[in-house]
Amino acid sequence: MMPLVILPLASIFIYGFTKGPTHFWEALISPAAISSLKLSLTTSSVTTACNVVFGLIAAWVMSKYEFKGSSALMIIISLPTAIPTAVAGFALLLLWGRSGLLGQFLEHTDYQIMFTTAAIILANIFVTFPLAFGVIKPALDNLDTSYEDAAETMGASRWQTFRFVVLPSLRGAIITGALLTFARSIGEFGSTIMVSGNLAMKTQTAPLYIYAKFTEGDVEGANAIAAVLAVISFAIFSLILFTRKRLER
Amino acid sequence: MAREMVAPFHETQAWAEPETERREALMVSGLSKVFGSEQVLDDVSFSIAEGESLVLLGHSGSGKSTTLRLIAGLETPDGGEISLSGRPIENLRARERNVGVIFQNYALFPRMTVAENIGFGLRIRGVRKKKRKEVVDRLLALTGLEDQRDKHPSQISGGQQQRVAIARALAYEPELLLFDESFSALDPQTRVGLRREIRALLRKLKIPALFITHDQEEAMELGDQIAILNRGRLEQVGTPDEVYNNPQTEFVATFLGAANVVEGCWRDGFIALNCEQCLAAPRPSPHQTMEQVKMVFRPEDITLGAPTGLVETPYHLGRGEVVDVSFAGATESLKVKLQPRGYIGKLAPSQCGAAADQPCDLVIKVVRTKWDARRLRLAPGDKVSVGLRSYKILRG
Repeated sequence: MMPLVILPLASIFIYGFTKGPTHFWEALISPAAISSLKLSLTTSSVTTACNVVFGLIAAWVMSKYEFKGSSALMIIISLPTAIPTAVAGFALLLLWGRSGLLGQFLEHTDYQIMFTTAAIILANIFVTFPLAFGVIKPALDNLDTSYEDAAETMGASRWQTFRFVVLPSLRGAIITGALLTFARSIGEFGSTIMVSGNLAMKTQTAPLYIYAKFTEGDVEGANAIAAVLAVISFAIFSLILFTRKRLER
Repeated sequence: MAREMVAPFHETQAWAEPETERREALMVSGLSKVFGSEQVLDDVSFSIAEGESLVLLGHSGSGKSTTLRLIAGLETPDGGEISLSGRPIENLRARERNVGVIFQNYALFPRMTVAENIGFGLRIRGVRKKKRKEVVDRLLALTGLEDQRDKHPSQISGGQQQRVAIARALAYEPELLLFDESFSALDPQTRVGLRREIRALLRKLKIPALFITHDQEEAMELGDQIAILNRGRLEQVGTPDEVYNNPQTEFVATFLGAANVVEGCWRDGFIALNCEQCLAAPRPSPHQTMEQVKMVFRPEDITLGAPTGLVETPYHLGRGEVVDVSFAGATESLKVKLQPRGYIGKLAPSQCGAAADQPCDLVIKVVRTKWDARRLRLAPGDKVSVGLRSYKILRG
């Protein structure tokens, strides 16, 4: 287990410093590199915010209401994780691209969705949607209904019950869901490369930058950003574990 | 709550108003509910007067929890009406009914403090912080919880949690309080103490209340009225005295305390029991000759005496043999097997009921006080004369 997991990670840091820390630093602060990191952080944050809200709404509806086809809907909601990310990206292109199902209507306007930041966000939302939902729904299912009953008999409206009684109890699940979404999103490659156009300084996220630099032969450049991403991911997962422990008291 | 009560929460008058008629706070009529294919409640009707408390008593599955949830608005009835203070509420949502519910597990919001829990009802009604604090402080004092105001529910005891649940419900001045088997999670000692405190508090505040329980002792202590439910149907409603001493059905007789139910046959002013004991019966009576009747009497209605003579009671059951004796502290429980055609007082055996040497296996439960037991010590095998102070004839 150790060689399989530790060695590849270690090699990022070992190789990065073979030519000395200055080279590492220079590669890190190049404009394209910084821009890619900024883009990744921004798109991942927006994706996370959106998917936590969508996940909450979906979990609430699925949990509280029984309707025909709800099990089919459950499967559909969980689909994005089963689809290869390149396929997801391709599908989005087909939908929003120049001659796409919906994209063709935008042909005549100034709006273009594909090959923009919006495209990256859309792709990320699609691919990571089941994550927050998957954590929030079981938590919602497990909530004792007597709290909601109590709030209702005390005169609370549905929104008040949700805001004061349900939401605080879901705190842990929401945080975990958000962190999972962020971690997944920041590393997303397959769908992003399809829909973003990989334009340096414009629509090139950090994983895309690593790929681009590597194919150009600039291994130090790739290495620096790879190290940063590795550290960010490591930090996020530590946060997840830490929050889980704290909220289980 | 043993401390002095502060000024009552509701602005009640210092002088008592003359009681004109019994005004109804809650009225339930013809309530029915079906779950799937099961008729969980069937035509249940009862009412609670202002300031009164009623206990719904029954086994699990008898429909009492369903009744509470229907009144609270957490379920909708399939038939019947519910009205509170004169206005019909069966079509209102729970949040519009102005009812307070104390749940079995109290349902205190875990991430709020005691004070925040109590103030919740006011907060969602838009009451300002200052006024809220006033009310919360008053309720904390009323329920003796001042020292717990900043604690979380997980940090206080079961008895304290229930008090918080009550204070929380009282905060928004509901017209009715519903208690859903809320004492069942407490240990016996706390339970009894808390019951009394709550009873006193409700009397003071004059709020009508409905309690649900399967514990008959609790029912008799908590309720001004007891309503007994059996498989979704109401068997009897009455004061604890009425229901205990004047049960209308066999279920009510056997559910509330121990009872001896004996079948017999009516013969011209006498009841011939299955063991050929005869009882002089009150005249006139609605029963026809040869009509099957069921009579019921409680273990404490029996007086035992020496076998050579009549006990000084209005009725007699002849002679019997002690089968079992058990010590129960303040009382002694016995089982006595009645002998066939034993001494019947002024009646000769031939005047009563049919023939034969039927083997008699009528064993009745008897309870005596410690002092009666000392006066006439009995052991299994002893013969006794059995006297009966009173009995009731059940319908059906």
